[in-house]
Amino acid sequence: MNSLQGEIESIQAQGALSLVKIMVPGAVLSTVVIDTPATAPYLVSSGKIQVLFKETEVIIAKGADLAISLQNRLRGVISSIEHGELLGKLTIETQAGEITSIITTNAIRQLKLVQGDQVTAMIKTNEIMLSP
Amino acid sequence: MIEISVHKKLWSSTGEVSLDLDLTIKEGSFLTIYGKSGAGKTSFLRILTGLLKPEEGHIRVYGKTWLDSQRGINLSPQKRGVGFVFQDYALFPNMTVEENLFFALKKGQDRKTIQELIEVMELGELRHLPPQSLSGGQKQRTALARALVQRPQLLLLDEPLSALDAGMRTKLQQLILQIHREYHLTTLLVSHDAPEILKLSSEVILLEEGKVTKRGAPIEFFTHKRVSGKFQFTGEVLKIERQDFIFIVTLLIGQDVVRVVADESEVRELAPGDKVLVASKAFNPILGKLKIETVSR
Repeated sequence: MNSLQGEIESIQAQGALSLVKIMVPGAVLSTVVIDTPATAPYLVSSGKIQVLFKETEVIIAKGADLAISLQNRLRGVISSIEHGELLGKLTIETQAGEITSIITTNAIRQLKLVQGDQVTAMIKTNEIMLSP
Repeated sequence: MIEISVHKKLWSSTGEVSLDLDLTIKEGSFLTIYGKSGAGKTSFLRILTGLLKPEEGHIRVYGKTWLDSQRGINLSPQKRGVGFVFQDYALFPNMTVEENLFFALKKGQDRKTIQELIEVMELGELRHLPPQSLSGGQKQRTALARALVQRPQLLLLDEPLSALDAGMRTKLQQLILQIHREYHLTTLLVSHDAPEILKLSSEVILLEEGKVTKRGAPIEFFTHKRVSGKFQFTGEVLKIERQDFIFIVTLLIGQDVVRVVADESEVRELAPGDKVLVASKAFNPILGKLKIETVSR
């Protein structure tokens, strides 16, 4: 599980859902949660929060100027790659901290990813969990 | 509503403990009392049953006064209508299962109650046996049935399952939950087992040296890490398999075996038998209605 330290920038609540924006060093991440400031006391502006997401939910792209719907983007450098037969594990150094991505070995090959490459790691808005 | 405000001096192995309880319990709730031995958990239950008399205080249950030390009211255990189940069963050894149940029947009470409980607790084939020929689980089913004979307003369970093996525990937990829901029976449980508490209780209180020091939802007590993911369960690790650099963790959640993909950072401190929080965002699961065919008899 990836875990980054951040601070809540804004909370937009509607009904049972909230769209929460979190500042992490070098980026702003957003997530949709089934909670509101009324149901989750830790949802407060400027509150310190941990951003959690699974390795298998981290999408990798090469380059920076991407025409893609994913809003949660962390730029970084691949510090190591482990190759399995089906899956591969990338460790990426970002300003917000080290994150791990598990993608298929085919994808690693197709993108010709090697240690030292500049990449953008992306996470879908509904894949991010928060923990106080 | 049950209103309790009592004071009693207790002597435990660690010395004198002053039991000072001041709490209300909502009707129909399932409250677990959690805490170290000597904290006053069992004494609390015994005060509610009327077996132990506090120095001062009052207990009001659904508007009726059970205890009021100032007015000199102290209802006898028989008049309080409390069902009590102990860890050691406390069955009469010289009576059969059925006789143990009949013994609890009040004068003029419908004998059909016994038959109903024998069916609910699956005691039919055991009804003519004496307690010593029963297994631990069977004894505790009998003790639970006996506690329910008088249709109690309050069910008190003092570590009722701690002497049983895991399989029997799960089965009896299910039964306790079923009874609690069907009879809308306010239940107080003393337990040390986190998964059991999480499964059964609607609320937990922590008792420390005779005082309630914490009260809240079970999940707040047993997960160090609160996460926003709404798809949350507690499970038990059955198996951890490594495949390249990822791990496939087999978990028992309730009665179901599920498998979860995990990273090394998640399994580093895990071993089979460990209890874990399993959390996911609620956006991923898909729902499909099951078609259950009703069987006509």
